[in-house]
Amino acid sequence: MKHDRFENWLRNIYETRDEEISCTECFDLVSRFVELEVSGQDAVAKMPQLKQHLSQCRACRDEYEALRDLRRLDEQDGMPSIDDLQDLIP
Amino acid sequence: MLLMSNTRTNEEWLHDLQASGATQEAALADLRNLLLRAVLFFFSRNLGDFGGLARSEVLQLAEDCAQDALIAILRRLSDFRGDSKFTTWAYKFAINIALMTARRERWKGVSLDQLSFSHNSTLFEWTMQDRSSGLVPDRSAMQGEISEIIREVIEHDLTDKQRHVLILMVFNEIPMDEVVQRLGTNRNAIYKMLHDARRKLKSGLEARGFEVHETLALFSEPG
Repeated sequence: MKHDRFENWLRNIYETRDEEISCTECFDLVSRFVELEVSGQDAVAKMPQLKQHLSQCRACRDEYEALRDLRRLDEQDGMPSIDDLQDLIP
Repeated sequence: MLLMSNTRTNEEWLHDLQASGATQEAALADLRNLLLRAVLFFFSRNLGDFGGLARSEVLQLAEDCAQDALIAILRRLSDFRGDSKFTTWAYKFAINIALMTARRERWKGVSLDQLSFSHNSTLFEWTMQDRSSGLVPDRSAMQGEISEIIREVIEHDLTDKQRHVLILMVFNEIPMDEVVQRLGTNRNAIYKMLHDARRKLKSGLEARGFEVHETLALFSEPG
């Protein structure tokens, strides 16, 4: 294991809570979290359990990051067209 | 070009998708278009997962994912609570399916049995590298002690299932959905196993007096 991954893993171990939400609960809540973030509200303070899950779960975090970035593009009317996106596939 | 989809309110989305005739057809077409964009957006950020595929195959996979997402959304329409834009809620289905598809492609043909676990070559690899970098001996000794506690907890305190999943995901970096699929389970069950494993590791470290700040300071990169 690489040094920085080991360090992150140790951090995850220490940040473990007795009660953590499941991936299903995360999926249900993540769109609200993203919406709060994009509208400039303190999403972490309002939904600390979701943030905690995201820091522990790589799969949910990957999905959250893509969702957040998509939502931001939407907000800026910057969503690329299907043609443009297809051109990104080599 | 201004898309129809950007002009619908949440209520209009729900109404149009459950309407009939041309109204519903237009809403379905707009939604499918948005979902395809979400999938392509995700794929374009994860091109490394599709190394073995031709472009046309990747584009077809994207179409399939968008279709699957559309079906999932129509099934779950009554779950939408209106606490986000409808499109944000819809995107997450597309991203979820796109991620599972991408990871499946990457790990296709890899047998998990080939992935063995050796403490010496994984968990402690960097510790050995560290020793040559002129660290004070006390620090090395304490790092070794922490590593030993972790090893003991993994070997003696975890259940076989917890150990197996930990080795696959933490030490071999197998994505969750791949483990889910190969073990015939679901994300929640895998997350719970890792959560229980972390709780045991945390207890083990704290019981030996290693508190969070001290431990992380020992393992953070010097300088």
